[in-house]
Amino acid sequence: MRNAWLAVAPFAISLLPALLWGHHGWAEFDETKEISLKGTVTDFHFVNPHCVIEFDVTGEKGVIENWQGEFSSPGPMARQGWNAATLQPGDKISISGHPARNTAHAIHATRIHLPNGQEFKLSDGK
Amino acid sequence: MNWPSVSIAAILCASNLAAVADDQGIPVTDPVVLAKCGPCHFRDDHGRLARISWSRATPEEWQDVVRRMILEHGVSVSAVEARAIVKNLSNFHGLAPAEAAPVRYIAERRIQPEANIPNDEIHAVCAKCHAFAWSLSWRRSGSEWRQFVTSHAARQKFPASEESVNRLSTVFSQIAPLTTPELESWRNHDSSDLVGRWLVTAALPGRGKYWGEMQVERTPNGDFTTRTILTSITDGSVLVRAGRGMLYGDYAWRGRSSGASTDGGLPGDPLTEAREVMTFSADTTSAEGRWFWGQYQEFGFDVHWQRDSAGPALLALNRSSLKAGSRGNRVRFVGYNFPAQGTPADLDLGPSVAIRAIVSRTTRELVAEADVASDAPLGKRSVVLNGSMLPAALAIYDRVDYVKVSPDSAVASFSDSGHPKGYLQFECIGYQRGPDGKMHTADDLELGPIEVNWSLQVFHAPEGSTAEQVGTLTATGLFIPASESPNLSFDLWVSATAKSEKSPGGKALVGKSYLVVTPPTYTFHGRRYVRDLDRWIDDKPAQPGR
Repeated sequence: MRNAWLAVAPFAISLLPALLWGHHGWAEFDETKEISLKGTVTDFHFVNPHCVIEFDVTGEKGVIENWQGEFSSPGPMARQGWNAATLQPGDKISISGHPARNTAHAIHATRIHLPNGQEFKLSDGK
Repeated sequence: MNWPSVSIAAILCASNLAAVADDQGIPVTDPVVLAKCGPCHFRDDHGRLARISWSRATPEEWQDVVRRMILEHGVSVSAVEARAIVKNLSNFHGLAPAEAAPVRYIAERRIQPEANIPNDEIHAVCAKCHAFAWSLSWRRSGSEWRQFVTSHAARQKFPASEESVNRLSTVFSQIAPLTTPELESWRNHDSSDLVGRWLVTAALPGRGKYWGEMQVERTPNGDFTTRTILTSITDGSVLVRAGRGMLYGDYAWRGRSSGASTDGGLPGDPLTEAREVMTFSADTTSAEGRWFWGQYQEFGFDVHWQRDSAGPALLALNRSSLKAGSRGNRVRFVGYNFPAQGTPADLDLGPSVAIRAIVSRTTRELVAEADVASDAPLGKRSVVLNGSMLPAALAIYDRVDYVKVSPDSAVASFSDSGHPKGYLQFECIGYQRGPDGKMHTADDLELGPIEVNWSLQVFHAPEGSTAEQVGTLTATGLFIPASESPNLSFDLWVSATAKSEKSPGGKALVGKSYLVVTPPTYTFHGRRYVRDLDRWIDDKPAQPGR
């Protein structure tokens, strides 16, 4: 009879759960520094745990750098009207935020200007 | 009781939600419920049990309640009695199908974003800790909602002022009342017997489509046994599964089935024992749901049942899409009761698609060659074979604009001594942008699986970390976590690079999924958290030294 009752009651979880994504922080970024970038969107991921914009930035010598901007999670952004189609490849954007602690081309975005002129101050999505 | 002598129709009618379910409460007459619940839940002169008579819920929620009564209130019940209580409460205090449909994903163990949370307060007190669908898995009278909110706040230790209790119970009384039009409508439904042959189609991410049949028999206690034979459209392999199931409220199937595994129980083995959650249509002619397994229920078939009939039944095609202007496309149609003889006119693939020839045909399979005109209308279309229609079965497209990895974000887990690995099966789907010209909008045209090369890229990890330390991705898109848990979480991109499809600039199309790989447990502020489907469960105080 092992698990005889479990066989019909596999769903019981009544303790104190928290969203799995919720413990995903921003430790990889240096919050004491702020940078601003202008670039062209190559892809946009409206996903958990963080929304991610992939964008190209043309450097001083004309070299194109591939950057990754992360911010918030889809839930709060959806409540501000965002969806998976908000950014399209080719869109021109400006992003401000905290750079990665390592040398990666990554930014925790705290502010973004969309092609339509809208500016969003972004929550941290924790 | 001599079961065979009892009318099946009478059994089914008795087990529906026809009981009086208004704010006057639902009387309880079942002897097991009365014997086990009655000692604590006061029974009034109208046969109503305190709290129970003013509540309705899904089978999973009633199971949870009964389990809690056993664990926390010392109720003594055998497994047989517990099943009987859950069955009775689910039948007489259950949700109508239209009420259960929006929360079906919880029972099917699917992760789904929830955009229906009424306000920030409810988000804070409900959805921050659990899926909001759990809340909507209940219907209660106004006073019962009030009592529930009060006791839940005390139990889960969230602050709830009187004003807050008033607001919350008012909202829930409005969105999830005991008496609803859906319930009224369901009271008068006609039920029918499940016994007999059902035709089955199923899709298993990473392995493709299956088709076949299921024989359902009734057991002496009113439950059911099943035997299912499925054939892979992709490689012709055959799965034979045997199982058992129960039907709650005349529409909610909960079962288990398994087959004799031949590949040693590798991750994702489609013969693994699976839980079955299916929802029948109102007329009981079809059902939809998921059969799932895995530590986090990460593997699963999407399943469709339909009643067998004497006429032809087209179940599936081996192609999801055809390109405009392409010629000689070989398409295989599978199903039951196909005429053994016929002509190309038996097939209709919609406007501007011509059947050039029937290559072969049997009563269960037909292979044809089809030409698609270059100006064929783009979009999904139905396919008809000898009068049997498969809606939206084929997409006509003229280019693949992008590829998308499904799921687009996911969590996998390392293992430890008490928790097996949590795997993840990915697949890559091609899309054409719709008329709005934008990607990722509702008018985009899904074209079916695309052949890709899979790769992993780790980011946000300690310097020097490599994807190999985290896990591997097979050629079929199955992520297998590394055997050694580094006791850290990792973020990765799961990338799918199309083998053939390219951008206008000539670059191979690439799709990505955001994968987080975590330990199965972690300790935070002295407490141990254990991973569930999409939650961390506060398990207990952490043990010193762990």
